Amino acid sequence: MTVLAASVNVEALVIFAFVLGITLAITYWASKRMTGADSFFAAGRSITAFQNGLAISGDYLSAASFLGIAGLIFIFGFDGFLYSVGFLVAFLTVMFLLAERMRNAGKYTIADVLSFRLNERPARTAAAAGTLTVAAFYLIAQMVGAGVLIQALVGFDFSVAVLLTGVFMLMYVIFGGMLATTWVQIIKACLLMVGILIMSAFVLERVGFNPIELFNRAEANTTAESTFSLGPGTFLSSPVDTVSLGIALVLGTAGLPHILIRFFTVPDGKAARGSVVIAMFIIGGFYILTTFIGFGARAFLGQEGVAAAGTGGNLAAPNLAQFLGGGEGTFGGDLFLAVIAAVAFATILAVVAGLVLSASGAVAHDIWTSIIRKGKPHSDKEEIMVARIAATSIGAISIAIAIIGGEGLNVSFMVGLAFAVAASANFPALVCALSWRRFNTTGAVTGVTFGIVSSIFLVIISPKVWPGPDGEGGMLSFYDLANPGIISIPLGFFGCWLGTVLGKPEVGQRSFDELYVRSETGLQAEGSVLVPTGPAAAATPPPAVAGGR
Amino acid sequence: MPDPTPEPPIDWVAAERSPEFQALIAAKRRFVVPATVFFLSWYIGFILLAGYAKDFMASSVYEGLTVGYCLALTQFAMVGILGVAYLRRAENVYDPLAAQAAQVALDAGRDGEARS
Repeated sequence: MTVLAASVNVEALVIFAFVLGITLAITYWASKRMTGADSFFAAGRSITAFQNGLAISGDYLSAASFLGIAGLIFIFGFDGFLYSVGFLVAFLTVMFLLAERMRNAGKYTIADVLSFRLNERPARTAAAAGTLTVAAFYLIAQMVGAGVLIQALVGFDFSVAVLLTGVFMLMYVIFGGMLATTWVQIIKACLLMVGILIMSAFVLERVGFNPIELFNRAEANTTAESTFSLGPGTFLSSPVDTVSLGIALVLGTAGLPHILIRFFTVPDGKAARGSVVIAMFIIGGFYILTTFIGFGARAFLGQEGVAAAGTGGNLAAPNLAQFLGGGEGTFGGDLFLAVIAAVAFATILAVVAGLVLSASGAVAHDIWTSIIRKGKPHSDKEEIMVARIAATSIGAISIAIAIIGGEGLNVSFMVGLAFAVAASANFPALVCALSWRRFNTTGAVTGVTFGIVSSIFLVIISPKVWPGPDGEGGMLSFYDLANPGIISIPLGFFGCWLGTVLGKPEVGQRSFDELYVRSETGLQAEGSVLVPTGPAAAATPPPAVAGGR
Repeated sequence: MPDPTPEPPIDWVAAERSPEFQALIAAKRRFVVPATVFFLSWYIGFILLAGYAKDFMASSVYEGLTVGYCLALTQFAMVGILGVAYLRRAENVYDPLAAQAAQVALDAGRDGEARS
């Protein structure tokens, strides 16, 4: 195995080392502050709304958002932007339906919220299965992406690049827990925003800061074989598929475990809600700037640049940076390329760390505590140890799959699957658990099972997996949906309903009333301060306890 | 780690039925339900247009600026406006109502403790 490919980008190597050095210093600092499970899983609930807004952005904006969408816009035009819109609007779903209520009702994992008033063992198992499925597919996709990018941008061999990403990801999580992961995500968000702002300024400067001129030039720079268009339909040609994808994006985010656990790191529901709005502005700004990068690449690199941009146009943004800096072989060009490459690397690291942390929480806090230990009390130390072992195992498995599967592994199929499972299994069960009084354990288990099984089944029979001889047909002639959301999400909700109707009413220790009042008011929320009471409060007459409705 | 002021046992059913809690839920629903219906309709409408009205979305508003790009920008504006509107309502309306509902539940719990 060769460690280095022929052309190593020295500037990129130096900047990579610098970024990695900073993240390791943060990890060391965070490890000194590790006091217990609350620090490991929830950063001691000490993250402010603004910091968490940055961290959510850092956790959410993957390399697929940065390089992937810029590349799609470069090659296909408007259709790439459709993804951005879905990814952003999703945060309204998160804010209105989940953010505060998750924070108030949960402790470390989404299973805490799902199993709050249900039969703990089956409900937790179902939620953990949902979390692990999403995290696993997403993680492997990110690792493969990391390998491909680092290989192209720095010159490391694919396997070495995957291994390097995996080792750093594990160091942050194992030694620094949520605190280190949070700060890696915050720094990444800042680097990404600064990087894309500078790049956008360079792009816009060339068109006199007139975006419409940029669109005109992008459209003019096409040839007969171009797939680029300022309108939709070049990448997402099937209308049903477009709608299915759109729905999965807008509901899937609200089922992504690594995003939802971020709400446990803030002191209260108010901070959780504030952090979503901060994240909306950062992520929204980012996606608008991505269009300037994508259209800029089309305007300046043109059709000749398509071959150099690799699969899906992932290298369009770095290639554009090189062009803007003065072109290949110039100091400015190489430096700008190196900076953007380092930003992309930091982007991947922050996302995979968040994913591994959410998966290790599901194993340690959900599976270990409630299934293996059957809810018997045990020390924080033990839970953290299990989480570290789980993180190492999950990390090792995903590194192995990424290396064995290699560059050819179908990344878009795995990302699609992760979003489909999040939207079809995690999201329906969480919404029902928080809002539907009658919902019961059977409903939760059936709903999650329906969601996971239908998503995986529909993706397996989809044309993405069975490209067919002409790259068009699926395995089944009557089923050609690439995105299963439009079928699997209703099936997930149907499973929740069916199980609830067929199952027995709940006789859990905690009632829906407790979940409802706690999630909406923050009363007795994890780490909350008791509402102070004074003489004035004593004057309030106690409400009628037996008042029936 | 012993809590300096142990939390009183709370009658959650009574807390849920208290007028204060019901007022909080009613106030929240008045905003969240219509806002959710609106944003989902606007978004799904946009996606339907992108899927089924490709020519309309590709038509030009001004030179290279298309209808599709403009409609996408309205989605960004919608997220910002609804986000800030919810934040302000939450701070001015829901938080005081939630604090009241929590206070009532806690006081009822303390009274119950004192009597027993």
